[in-house]
Amino acid sequence: MRVLVLPVVFCAAATAAAQSPQFAPPVRLKAGETFLGEKRLYPSPVLHDLDGDGRVDVVVGDLPGVLTMAPRGNAAADAPVYGAETKVLAADGKPLDFDNW
Amino acid sequence: MSPQFVDFDADGKLDIVAGIFDGSPHLSRGSKQGWQKPEQILGRDGKRIVVNNFWNFDTKKWDSTHAYDAPGHEGEAHATSTLAFDMDGDGDLDLLLGDHKSGRVFWRRNDGSPGKPAFDLVNQPVTAAGAPIDVPGTVATMRLVDWNGDGKQDLACGSMGGPFGDGDGGGVWVWPNVGDGKAAAWGAPIELLARSKQDHVGDAPARPDAGLYMDFGDVDGDGDLDMLVGAYSHWQEAPKPLDAAQQARVAALQAAQKDCDARFQQVLKEVNAGLGDAVGEARDTLYTERYQARQADFEAIRKDRSAAVKELATLVPPRQRQSFVWLYENLAAKKAAAPAK
Repeated sequence: MRVLVLPVVFCAAATAAAQSPQFAPPVRLKAGETFLGEKRLYPSPVLHDLDGDGRVDVVVGDLPGVLTMAPRGNAAADAPVYGAETKVLAADGKPLDFDNW
Repeated sequence: MSPQFVDFDADGKLDIVAGIFDGSPHLSRGSKQGWQKPEQILGRDGKRIVVNNFWNFDTKKWDSTHAYDAPGHEGEAHATSTLAFDMDGDGDLDLLLGDHKSGRVFWRRNDGSPGKPAFDLVNQPVTAAGAPIDVPGTVATMRLVDWNGDGKQDLACGSMGGPFGDGDGGGVWVWPNVGDGKAAAWGAPIELLARSKQDHVGDAPARPDAGLYMDFGDVDGDGDLDMLVGAYSHWQEAPKPLDAAQQARVAALQAAQKDCDARFQQVLKEVNAGLGDAVGEARDTLYTERYQARQADFEAIRKDRSAAVKELATLVPPRQRQSFVWLYENLAAKKAAAPAK
């Protein structure tokens, strides 16, 4: 049995606020009209401004090695809205593919 | 794979580093023209970096090596996640390697320089509070995040758990960087998301359950770190009330499924029983021939089982499995801003 040793004392309230997770119930993100990452094999999101518009997009990798990008559609201060996923392209214009085994 | 955007080759442009299922870290270099074709990241011996298990592209089979084990840390690790990070504070990027078959994390020291990496040939275990890191539920992914706001990069890990809803699911933890600001050292983990019990009953999924790949950022602009989690969700729709006849039919269909599984195993046993002493390629060829000769049997079993499963689903809602990306909104900033009661 694996046992985690969890910290039980925080030195200051500010530290505790930074360390203790206080998350709202999770919600599924949408990309356009569909759920982000739906039907992907082991979707792995990363927040990154891929299109350089100053807004942080969601790039999603998966088990087969495909990358997609859901562009952030609204300002950073609002509840996030993302556009439909498109494949991330390589320099040759073809989909970037971390070709798997 | 879990992509990491990082200037791996120190040319001023972001690259993409990713561990993939073949067991090695890969790199797509960023260029003026765009992302270049991904390549394997090599050790200083010019060979691909692996821990133990890897897909051998020459033999086209799974393979294993112990050539890079640290003394006392031999195993059967399969590194499918990678993180480029300056572990030892010497100014260049080392590589962290996460084992999806266990909860262990290893690292390859970079003895080169920024832009000219020379990765050591030993997979050192990454330790925290004096013991090797052991991610509960095996490693799915790793991310760097300054979770506690002390200016140092902490190490977050998401775990796999039972990938098909079997047993406990995955969770998320962060190991705070308690180092001196140069070399990293990891303290005891903080649980960000407890492992799922994978037992949700309802019309819709409730959370990410297995294969948790997370990232962090201030998604809602309120000044704290929110968490995105890509994963499979497992849920069971509430069962419908059944009359006696329907209950009997369910029992019959479940028995039919078991019978199909037993028939499948029997045919497979008969296929294997004819292999004799054949070895190597001769055995593979013979197996393929014998397997193909029983295709009609396999197809009949598949049809019978499929029909049983389909009818059963009309009476007992099947367990659902689907992948999504979830947002966990951090409430810390809102809580701090709320007026005192």
